[in-house]
Amino acid sequence: MTKKKLTRGKLLAAAAPLAAVPIVGKLALDGQAEASGHDHSSHSSTRVPASHVQGRMGHSAMVGEEAPAVGGPNDLDALLYPPPALPYEPGRVREYTLTATDVDLEVAPGIFFPAWTYNGTAPGPVIRATEGDILRVRFLNAGSHPHTIHFHGIHPANMDGVFENVEPGGQFTYRFEARPAGLHLYHCHSTPLKKHIHKGLYGAFIIDPKEPRPPAQELVFVMNGFDTDADGGNNFYTVNGRSFYYARYPIRVKRSELVRIYLANLTEFDLVNSLHLHADFFRYQPTGTGDYWEYTDTVMQCQGQRGVLEIEFAGTGLHMFHAHQSEFAELGWMGFFEVVD
Amino acid sequence: MEAGSATVRGRMGWRLWAVVPVLLLALAVGFVVTSSSSLVDLVGTNPPPADEFDIRRVEFSPGEIRITVRNPQRDDLTIANVNVDDAIVPFTVDGPTTLGRLRSSTIVVPFDWVEEDPITVGVTSSTGIETVEEIPAAIETPTPSVEGFLGYALIGALVGVLPVALGLLWLPALRHAGPEWLSAFMAFTAGLLSFLGVEALSESFQLQAALPSALGGTGLVLLGVALSFLGMTALAGRLSGGSAATGLALALLVAIGIGLHNLGEGLAIGASFALGELQLGTFLIVGFMIHNVTEGLGIATPVAKTRVTILTLAGLALVAGAPTILGTWIGGYTSSDVLGALFFAIAAGAAFQVVVEVGRYVARSAPGGLRSGYAIAGFLAGIATMFVTGILAG
Repeated sequence: MTKKKLTRGKLLAAAAPLAAVPIVGKLALDGQAEASGHDHSSHSSTRVPASHVQGRMGHSAMVGEEAPAVGGPNDLDALLYPPPALPYEPGRVREYTLTATDVDLEVAPGIFFPAWTYNGTAPGPVIRATEGDILRVRFLNAGSHPHTIHFHGIHPANMDGVFENVEPGGQFTYRFEARPAGLHLYHCHSTPLKKHIHKGLYGAFIIDPKEPRPPAQELVFVMNGFDTDADGGNNFYTVNGRSFYYARYPIRVKRSELVRIYLANLTEFDLVNSLHLHADFFRYQPTGTGDYWEYTDTVMQCQGQRGVLEIEFAGTGLHMFHAHQSEFAELGWMGFFEVVD
Repeated sequence: MEAGSATVRGRMGWRLWAVVPVLLLALAVGFVVTSSSSLVDLVGTNPPPADEFDIRRVEFSPGEIRITVRNPQRDDLTIANVNVDDAIVPFTVDGPTTLGRLRSSTIVVPFDWVEEDPITVGVTSSTGIETVEEIPAAIETPTPSVEGFLGYALIGALVGVLPVALGLLWLPALRHAGPEWLSAFMAFTAGLLSFLGVEALSESFQLQAALPSALGGTGLVLLGVALSFLGMTALAGRLSGGSAATGLALALLVAIGIGLHNLGEGLAIGASFALGELQLGTFLIVGFMIHNVTEGLGIATPVAKTRVTILTLAGLALVAGAPTILGTWIGGYTSSDVLGALFFAIAAGAAFQVVVEVGRYVARSAPGGLRSGYAIAGFLAGIATMFVTGILAG
């Protein structure tokens, strides 16, 4: 976009060595036309800046009706609440069907993003299995471009979703054992990779350990962004696909009860994303594997990184969470837990 | 009687024939409209619309930013999201949210902006395309007030009326000049007006080029130039009773030509200052004063051998200088870029017409006519003087 202005070059250049005269009416009235150098403070120190007005609504108060988010209160439940964990059972087969479709997703009020999706949402559905299950994922490509599904985890190289491009109208069934336990990802691995991922072909992939985790209120947060004007940078940031959604509809959890969040970063273009929780601390297990837990209120994830958070909220009320990159927070990646007794 | 009605019928027949091409054109248009997509399909695919807004004006007031946007394209454009400094902000729209072709709305954003900091505003369409405007320094936009109104008037008077009036004071000296020197000064006036005309024309083209293509045809400039040129020609004819303009009539024409130019000049000063793009410093105002003092000389020369009252001279100074004041008001408090382009085109047309009038006068009255050394040197000196004093103002 080019900048237009009603002016002449000659009007602009001449005054460079001179200071602005803030109130033009005074110019000749008080004979102070000789403006005094570059001292801007002389006219701003004695009064409240013109830009500021007391009592204006700030961003931090953008909650509930105030928050510009798309849709109704339970629209994203299928992505937020994962399917239940099943107890370990040797030789069990878990079947999923994923269909790639082109969908115009409303990611912010009135903003439609021409997405490529698994099953019509970005992120796609949560895939869940218990360690040792045999996963059979049937993939149908109803989109307009060739796609694949590349799962993170340990599996045969020919089930990796890299070599078999599934053409539009085609299908492929991925079959492998679910391991290791942890939080993983799946995403399209067709080239150009950046395009296929940022258009929306990704999701969370939970493998539960054979020894089950303690019962908890479980949530899935897939952090992502949408580059709606295709300029190589995100215009909106979200958790689970809609900017400011959980600011508009805070997530209700119970005080003192265990809450487990499966957090994954599938943001394209930006190197890292993060989650910061207000007014409490949580335990963080990188990749959902191993015995190491960090006790913190802020975690950072590179593209493709993920981990498991556990917390028992100490107090009730609205607890904000957001990316600690302020820019992402103010472009949609912000929400609240409503902690109740 | 019968022969008479046959003539009438014949005349009607010709008129009907005149309608035939219009009807056929309507049919052809109907065909193209109904088959437009299949017609395009024969040769390829249309590119998608740009879906970019034309951000016309960004105004700052305490706790608030107002963004005026226009839809420059054929397809509708919907305001769906507004960013300030890369942050989504709540907003309301004063006007329609979905803009038809060339329609405008003003977006109102409650925002605690920081004085003198650079700031960017972004308006995103429903298709996700963000149009960004960078403001180099946020300052409060002047709102109409008695103080501001008088301030602009004062500045307009300083850069417009005063220098012209001062220039008119050369009149007593001019009365003693010989005919060669008078013709040189008249040619000087023509050079000065040529300079102003070219400058106004260039400014008009620049403003026109920045308009959305639907509004920004070069025809707009030509229309303005032709309108004022022909209008001034008619006026010159009336003032001088059909013969070539001389004396007071010529002085008035010169004053009008200069006045129209000064209207544009005031417009540019007012608009640039209001948009925070211009520092109205002492140097700039002094520069304009020196630049414009020669305009007074141009008006005085035609009446060098005519008796004029001081009141008449004051009137001429007002005709040439007062439009600057009007211009600063229009530029400072309104935002019509179409009007801006048109004003400058009108100024150019008027200036060129007066050059013609002055040229005729010199051709007839100067010893040696247009080819005399005095006339040629005077013309070139007029251009050179404007150029050199213009450096002071820019």
